[in-house]
Amino acid sequence: MATSLGTPKLSSPALQTLCTYKFSISSFSLTHCNKLPIFRNFNSLSPNPRRICSPSFNTAVRAESANGSEPARHYDFDLFTIGAGSGGVRASRFAANFGASVAVCELPFATISSDSTGGVGGTCVLRGCVPKKLLVYASKYSHEFEESLGFGWNYEAEPKHDWNTLIANKNAELQRLTGIYKNTLKNAGVKLIEGRGKIVDPHTVDVDGKHYSAKNILISVGGRPFIPNIPGSEYAIDSDAALDLPSKPKKIAIVGGGYIAVEFAGIFNGLKTEVHVFIRQKKVLRGFDEEIRDFVGEQISLRGIEFHTEELPQAILKSSDGSLSLKTNKGTVDGFSHVMFATGRGPNTKNLGLETVGVKLSKNGAIEVDEFSRTSVPSIWAVGDVTDRINLTPVALMEGGALAKTLFANEPTKPDYRAVPSAVFSQPPIGQVGLTEEQAINEYGNVDVYTANFRPLKATLSGLPDRAFMKLIVCAKTDKVLGLHMCGEDAPEIVQGFAVAVKAGLTKADFDSTVGIHPTAAEEFVTMRTPVRKVRSTTSEGKADSEIKAAAGV
Amino acid sequence: MARKMLIDGEKGNPNGEEAHYDFDLFVIGAGSGGVRASRFSAQYGAKVGICELPFHPVSSEVIGGVGGTCVIRGCVPKKILVYGASFGPELQDARSFGWELNERLDFDWKKLLHKKTEEILRLNGIYKRLLANSGVKLFEGEGKVVGPNEVEVTQLDGTKIGYSAKHILIATGSRAQRLPIPGQELAITSDEALSLEELPKRAVVLGAGYIAVEFASIWRGMGATVDLFYRKELPLRGFDDEMRAVVARNLEGRGINLHPNTNLTELVRTEDGIKVRTDHGEELMADVVLFATGRAPNTKRLNLEAVGVELDKIGAVKVDEYSQTNVPSIWAIGDATNRMNLTPVALMEGGYFAKTVFGGEPTKPDHTNIPSAVFCIPPLSVVGLSEEQATEQANGDVLVFTSTFNPMKNTISGRQEKTFMKLVVDSETDKVLGASMCGPDAPEIMQGIAIALKCGATKAQFDSTVGIHPSAAEEFVTLRSVTRRIAAGKPKTNL
Repeated sequence: MATSLGTPKLSSPALQTLCTYKFSISSFSLTHCNKLPIFRNFNSLSPNPRRICSPSFNTAVRAESANGSEPARHYDFDLFTIGAGSGGVRASRFAANFGASVAVCELPFATISSDSTGGVGGTCVLRGCVPKKLLVYASKYSHEFEESLGFGWNYEAEPKHDWNTLIANKNAELQRLTGIYKNTLKNAGVKLIEGRGKIVDPHTVDVDGKHYSAKNILISVGGRPFIPNIPGSEYAIDSDAALDLPSKPKKIAIVGGGYIAVEFAGIFNGLKTEVHVFIRQKKVLRGFDEEIRDFVGEQISLRGIEFHTEELPQAILKSSDGSLSLKTNKGTVDGFSHVMFATGRGPNTKNLGLETVGVKLSKNGAIEVDEFSRTSVPSIWAVGDVTDRINLTPVALMEGGALAKTLFANEPTKPDYRAVPSAVFSQPPIGQVGLTEEQAINEYGNVDVYTANFRPLKATLSGLPDRAFMKLIVCAKTDKVLGLHMCGEDAPEIVQGFAVAVKAGLTKADFDSTVGIHPTAAEEFVTMRTPVRKVRSTTSEGKADSEIKAAAGV
Repeated sequence: MARKMLIDGEKGNPNGEEAHYDFDLFVIGAGSGGVRASRFSAQYGAKVGICELPFHPVSSEVIGGVGGTCVIRGCVPKKILVYGASFGPELQDARSFGWELNERLDFDWKKLLHKKTEEILRLNGIYKRLLANSGVKLFEGEGKVVGPNEVEVTQLDGTKIGYSAKHILIATGSRAQRLPIPGQELAITSDEALSLEELPKRAVVLGAGYIAVEFASIWRGMGATVDLFYRKELPLRGFDDEMRAVVARNLEGRGINLHPNTNLTELVRTEDGIKVRTDHGEELMADVVLFATGRAPNTKRLNLEAVGVELDKIGAVKVDEYSQTNVPSIWAIGDATNRMNLTPVALMEGGYFAKTVFGGEPTKPDHTNIPSAVFCIPPLSVVGLSEEQATEQANGDVLVFTSTFNPMKNTISGRQEKTFMKLVVDSETDKVLGASMCGPDAPEIMQGIAIALKCGATKAQFDSTVGIHPSAAEEFVTLRSVTRRIAAGKPKTNL
């Protein structure tokens, strides 16, 4: 609960405080009874820990606790973290729990981020996962109203949506959450400094003119949406702004085909905005399994979103009545109240002083780190979106937690990027873990593919054209499930448990031996009996499976 | 009597050594288990006949229908009503998300009932086609066993036809029971509850099992006043005690009046409805009284004793691990055997029966780590051991990890209802012995967790899995702090 920072779910701040307090105490004491013996064992079993961990870590918990063989320089903090988002807060709290003295700096709170605004909680809590999901909940209702008609519910008047109520309630929740995060830091004994952090030297951070010295510096400043520079781009909004508009768009153009684009398309469509999505390619969600891309595109279109494929934005024009037109390589679409760019995010690495201390950046400005999240400067580390590895909250949490362990628990820990599940909160949503079919074929050659494409029970009653699609990709040689994908109601919730199974390297036979939970959608994943195709590196044999699929329920 | 009928296309016995039978397999009862066993046996090349009573939403000794309890009087219609009922509170919650709705929302029970009946008729048709497509011969009528290799089907017009079969499979399922109290005839069972003409305004539910809490939730969601009576302190005996308490709290939170430790003693018909008396001397009026007081195997009219098939005390067919009865040619699966009365278990038993008898691969169904769900609102889902079972069975200490949280949706809707999750871990092996959850989407979430448990996943493997954010399910992989440690052999105090 309170221990999973990414999931703020408590209602009353008082209760949250209580729980946070209770839990951080218990996790702290647990940490101690669990970790101390490990600490001792580690030293006694391996006289030269350097042989085990490739980078050389100085794991003294406090500078003053060094054993005297080398003179300890005094630092203000063992760890100074720049950026109090998911990764930074996690690393700071855990480091403090391991006994380190920790400070974290963060920009003042604002719903829209900039060089001078941010807020404790970071993208996930203030401008990402959380507000996005709250808007998804709100927008999903219009579909539920339609569904409910098929279940006997009636509305005298068509339900209308009031944008201001939603945004006010959403912002109240964000304020509550940023407060919770601050408390969490405080209760863990982390010093929070409001202001812009900048690196002065490998052991010094400047926050608005004041210098702090630290044995280790962690950069966890995240990323920010990026709007390409085309004529009229000043009229465009990004996802930060889209989450906090003063009024609901009447007609919106969303440029981009990634998860942010399809999520916002679903949100605005559900709230009865006319939505046009402009994508460069033929399909949305590049990088996802091809069949999932096809399926989700189809389902989204059925809900009334209009796609403009293979269109590149060239200019935004503002007409005299204030409406916007989007000019692309194929033509111009008029009458938009808003044009939103969801064309990617970039790491927030400007003006951090990184170049001056020699921290290496990649071409797109991301901080280059090794497997332990260490930069080219040994005392400087980086986690989360700023490193552009896998840009997901739980991954930043994993990296932050692993770093705290590495630095302060004498347990060098590499984050493990295998089988990281993820979700797209489009409508219907997607959940996935492991490899796409294309990746699996590249890596393993011979794979068996199982799919199910069905009309859920709810849709048979509602009469709506909703369907669900599920897919398993299995290694022909080892029977291991390499990838699991779903698009349909509840997909993100459904996939989590399967992610445990995929991560644990379980086989198709293991899936088959599991009894279904009836009646659910999820049970389809354990009742897939016949592959739809067996891909072999030489030939590919196809097999129609429709009849078998129809029988799967019996 | 057991005259042999020749069936079209019947093959003669090629080697002439074995006795000649009309069928390799004759199945009595075309519910989940029977249909699965028939189809799979046919796919292995067996010649299969199956009989089932004529279709009707409410079952009796003489009516039933292809599809069985699950499709006609159980899982499917129940889930449809749960969907219907869930919209009630859902729509209330919509207001905080900015939706402007009428003060009172109108719900048309008859419309839902009609659509439900349409849907189960459609499924009934699909099941019949499935049987036909796999070459299984379907007979409508009541089946009886008249010899180790003889069945008799009483057709709708009363004529009886006998068939011989190398193997007979009993898959007749079970039926709801009534409590023998004065006025019991005024009460209904779950069969009727799924097909009521009118939505009750005042409903009384007696029982503590999953059927009781599901119907209480359904009627409450549709706006009825619901009173739930049960004998124990908590509903859902057999489930994890802590989960039982959570369910009770949620039912109450959703406005159901709970009456623990209470029995009904008498039902009296009055002008104003049914007067219900309890053993605490209370009286209340109801439009509908539902007895959800258990189900019993449908074995009475099968003539099993006459051919020597052993039954247990409650009338369940006794079988070995391969579903074989003490009469070697007679087998039984599903609720009729009262092992674990769940559709997917009957499917498993039916499939393994076919594999054993006709696939040349003797296979025992494995009844461990079978997940299940209770579709109360919000639902409960579990797999593996309860905390109490784990404490009893584990060698070492048991570690209990729990999480109580306000689901994100409630942060806006203001609904005061916590989701609760629990993992029970063996401290010696680190194996996760049990998982449970009560909250929205629990049954969907639990399915994947069930694979992990089935395959002996450890807590470390759960921990090494990255979460899907923001979801409720991610809590299962982020439970870091032990809530309590229970020393081996010391069960915690009873609730």
